[in-house]
Amino acid sequence: MTTSPAIDVQGLSHRYDTELVLRDLSFVIERGEVFGFLGHNGAGKTTAVNILTTLITPSDGTALVCGHDVVAERHEVTRMIGYLPSEVRLYGHLTASENLEFFARLSGVERPRAAAQDALRYLECADLADRRVSTFSTGMRQRIGIAQAIVHRPEVLFLDEPTSGLDPIGVRQLRDTIGRLNEDLGMTVFMNTHLLSEVARVCTTIGVLDHGELIYKDSIAETLRRFPDERSLEDIYVRMDGRSS
Amino acid sequence: MIATIARHQVRSLVRQRTFVSLLGVFGVMTVLAGVLGWSSHHTIVRVYDQAVILLDGQGRPAPPNPFTLRPRLSLLSNMVVYVPLIGALLALVVGHLSVVDDQSGGVGRLVFSRGLDRRTYVVGKLAAAAFVLATVATMSTVISAASLLIVERTLAPSDLARLVAFFALSWLYLMVFASIGMVSGVASRLRSLGLLSALGAWLVITFVVPQFTSGLRPTASLNPITDPVSTSQSFFRATAKLRPLSIAEQYKQASAHLLQTATTHESAVRLLGHLVPIAGALVLLAAVLIDLVGRHDYSRSASDA
Repeated sequence: MTTSPAIDVQGLSHRYDTELVLRDLSFVIERGEVFGFLGHNGAGKTTAVNILTTLITPSDGTALVCGHDVVAERHEVTRMIGYLPSEVRLYGHLTASENLEFFARLSGVERPRAAAQDALRYLECADLADRRVSTFSTGMRQRIGIAQAIVHRPEVLFLDEPTSGLDPIGVRQLRDTIGRLNEDLGMTVFMNTHLLSEVARVCTTIGVLDHGELIYKDSIAETLRRFPDERSLEDIYVRMDGRSS
Repeated sequence: MIATIARHQVRSLVRQRTFVSLLGVFGVMTVLAGVLGWSSHHTIVRVYDQAVILLDGQGRPAPPNPFTLRPRLSLLSNMVVYVPLIGALLALVVGHLSVVDDQSGGVGRLVFSRGLDRRTYVVGKLAAAAFVLATVATMSTVISAASLLIVERTLAPSDLARLVAFFALSWLYLMVFASIGMVSGVASRLRSLGLLSALGAWLVITFVVPQFTSGLRPTASLNPITDPVSTSQSFFRATAKLRPLSIAEQYKQASAHLLQTATTHESAVRLLGHLVPIAGALVLLAAVLIDLVGRHDYSRSASDA
């Protein structure tokens, strides 16, 4: 029995009014990978995530998540994915537990209260369950944000700039969390980020987006083998980005 | 799923200070309507009693007690003013708060990445507003009934039915304003602009439109001096033909008949006729809301400004 890739994108393009923000994007991410999507501000990373999470309809091309088309099979796709946007606000007047229960219900989880408690326990923040989200620090909100993204145990987790606003300890905790979600629960992770050091530590594959075009995609191991003279991943990224411009 | 959205929204609303404060003001005003009715009743009856003693001393017959000639529900006539003023503001805030959290801060992105149908979302939000405003109307009915019982010692079933009908009508009227709050919240890029435009709509519906459709000389409210020269006022006679579309006037007329403060009698059919424009406005706003939410780009957050 063959299983479809976690993400299969072919000829994906998107324009906002007259501006083309994604150009003929094609790539495949296998299940169980942790994919780091790199690119400068405005490269089109968030637009790609918005399409893959069914929030916007692409202008052209196809995108499949776990074998389901993001346009034609939107409902099936949303059952397979978890999503954490770059700025996590949630409902500040409600407690962490109430927020998670709500999102669990939206995803059709049978026992939403238990699922919320499980997600909080898994992320080691059960002590935050009965506190209102408006009282949380950025790091706490980020953890609750991840909890809402995994409360229904999705197969693919989309994280858009998950480290923005976090202190070094928060970044390290997030890195550990992503690793555990991938190893323990087998989730495929698609992560938009600027932090190359995190990509090198967490991701198994990277892709580099430049002005809406995918200019590079390969495994971390192969990338480091292909560019042996480069000292760090950052040097490789700058070199690739420089080549394309 | 509608119940999930509605329950979540009600829970979120009751935790918000703006809503709770306005609810408190409306509750106080409802009590105040009863107190004012009782005070007016008490004062007039005391004056009447003294007049009766005086007339009796002069050997003249006393006229009947004026309150025995007035319908009991007329004691609550102030509610017809409080509902379009404080109640409508409360409803605008209910509508506004129902949608703005999803507009800003990326929460809408999370909600709609869950496969939620947008029409279901709108129906859930409207159901939440309907429930909250129905609770407010029920509480007001209880407070008003209690006020009448204190004053009159008794409340006839027909009066209770009229009171319930009045607050049911008020609920329908307030739902229009809750929908306006939602529509302006979804349509505005800025959070504060959404509430301001809803307030603008409330001002126009409550104060501006009735000035034209009532066929009155609009300047009369600013300068209550009779025109020295008679003018044709054909413009205002023309705008008066639009009276059926003025929902504030329709509400006031229907309320006056239900509370028996109107000077003329209307049949039940004509009374129902007042409901048509109010219900029509609600249906129209719900359709606009479904269209707006269906087209809204939730991948972009509205500004919190």
